[in-house]
Amino acid sequence: MTCRELQDAYELYALGVLEGEEKAEIDAHVARGCEICLQGLADARAMNAALLSFVPEKYPSARLKRRVMEGIGVRHPGWGWLGAFAAALMLIVALWLAVQERERTTQLAEARRMVLQVSGERDRLTQALQFLSDPQTVPASFGKGPAAPPRGYVFLHPHLGVLLIASNLPAAGQGKAYEMWVIPKGGAPRPAGLFQSEGARAVHILNGPIDVAALGAVVVTVEPEAGSAAPTSQPIIAAPVGT
Amino acid sequence: MLLLRLLPAGLAFGILQVVLRLADDADVVRRLKERDPKAMSDLYDRYGRLAYSLICRVVRNPSAAEDLLQETFMRVWNRVGSFDAERGALGPWVLAVARNRAIDYLRSVDGRMQAGAVDLDRIEHPAQFSDIDASTLAIDRVRRLKSAFEKLTPNQRVVIELAYYEGMSQTEMAGRLKQPLGTVKTWTRSALKILREELAEAAIA
Repeated sequence: MTCRELQDAYELYALGVLEGEEKAEIDAHVARGCEICLQGLADARAMNAALLSFVPEKYPSARLKRRVMEGIGVRHPGWGWLGAFAAALMLIVALWLAVQERERTTQLAEARRMVLQVSGERDRLTQALQFLSDPQTVPASFGKGPAAPPRGYVFLHPHLGVLLIASNLPAAGQGKAYEMWVIPKGGAPRPAGLFQSEGARAVHILNGPIDVAALGAVVVTVEPEAGSAAPTSQPIIAAPVGT
Repeated sequence: MLLLRLLPAGLAFGILQVVLRLADDADVVRRLKERDPKAMSDLYDRYGRLAYSLICRVVRNPSAAEDLLQETFMRVWNRVGSFDAERGALGPWVLAVARNRAIDYLRSVDGRMQAGAVDLDRIEHPAQFSDIDASTLAIDRVRRLKSAFEKLTPNQRVVIELAYYEGMSQTEMAGRLKQPLGTVKTWTRSALKILREELAEAAIA
């Protein structure tokens, strides 16, 4: 094909949409350096640029230029400061969350402790009811008379153990605890557990089988908080067994 | 179906900006070759909006258009080494790269992945944009070209739009328009002849 025959195809060729024989012909003309076709293509590219500028104007966002500049490694100076601020803010948020988490953990631990305490008290009450309802239980009272001294009951069961229910029992004191003792007839006091009073009342249980018939008395003394191997003070509660 | 009914003031101003800066393009190219980041900023300020407008017209997707504009400028940055600062026409080259990025995207979305990608790479090579008449984008010439475009028949206008803004070959146009290939070729040839003659007259005037 001649240059004249190809001249109407230059624009489409420059756009990259020409196909078939015409494209192959222009390729061949260009390959051999045809000046007419080369100039025709240059003119075509100019017209294409003019036609491509016929578009409704759109405005790119400001961040787009920053993206372009970042593409060649240029960082926006504001981002450095902003980045540092964002990092500091995130650190503060992280620390706050950590504090919140620790507080929640503490609260959770406290809640668990309370649950355990309530469960323990429930268990003691359950055992106390078991004592009271069982026909083999033998009562022994103490503190009759004026309301001021501690008063209450000690329940003894050959299989369940010993149940102490006391009232008018003040707090044992700083660093002190009440310690219960079981005293066999003609024998030395044996430790039967430590407890504290709450609201001047106390419930204490010694679990396990006991020889009720061989028991002489159940007493309570005030001892150091860690307990004692033998009573170190006068009993404040003394419940003779079998009387 | 028309490209524009009226040349809006904003577009006219934008084209005028391009024209006035043609003389400075050689300096921008030189600084781009020296990897001066300020040159990239200047290039974006000069042609960013026009390139973005063109890409938006082709892909009609603002999010994709932003990505494609970034690709355009990265491509220019990476290939400016082969561009002739003294003889090359920077504006037409940037527009060609922008248009081709958009057409490439459109083809991938439409599933028209032919050998088109190879052709686009060839036709936008910097060496292709040497010795182009830099005054083509002069506002008066653009205005005359637009006027001539509006005088085309509807069929002539649609094939120009399909070629320029959708990157369609004449065979694809024939399929889209459900017309014989010969008819589409006739419309295209006659449209381009009219536009070419109008531009030539404007150059003489």
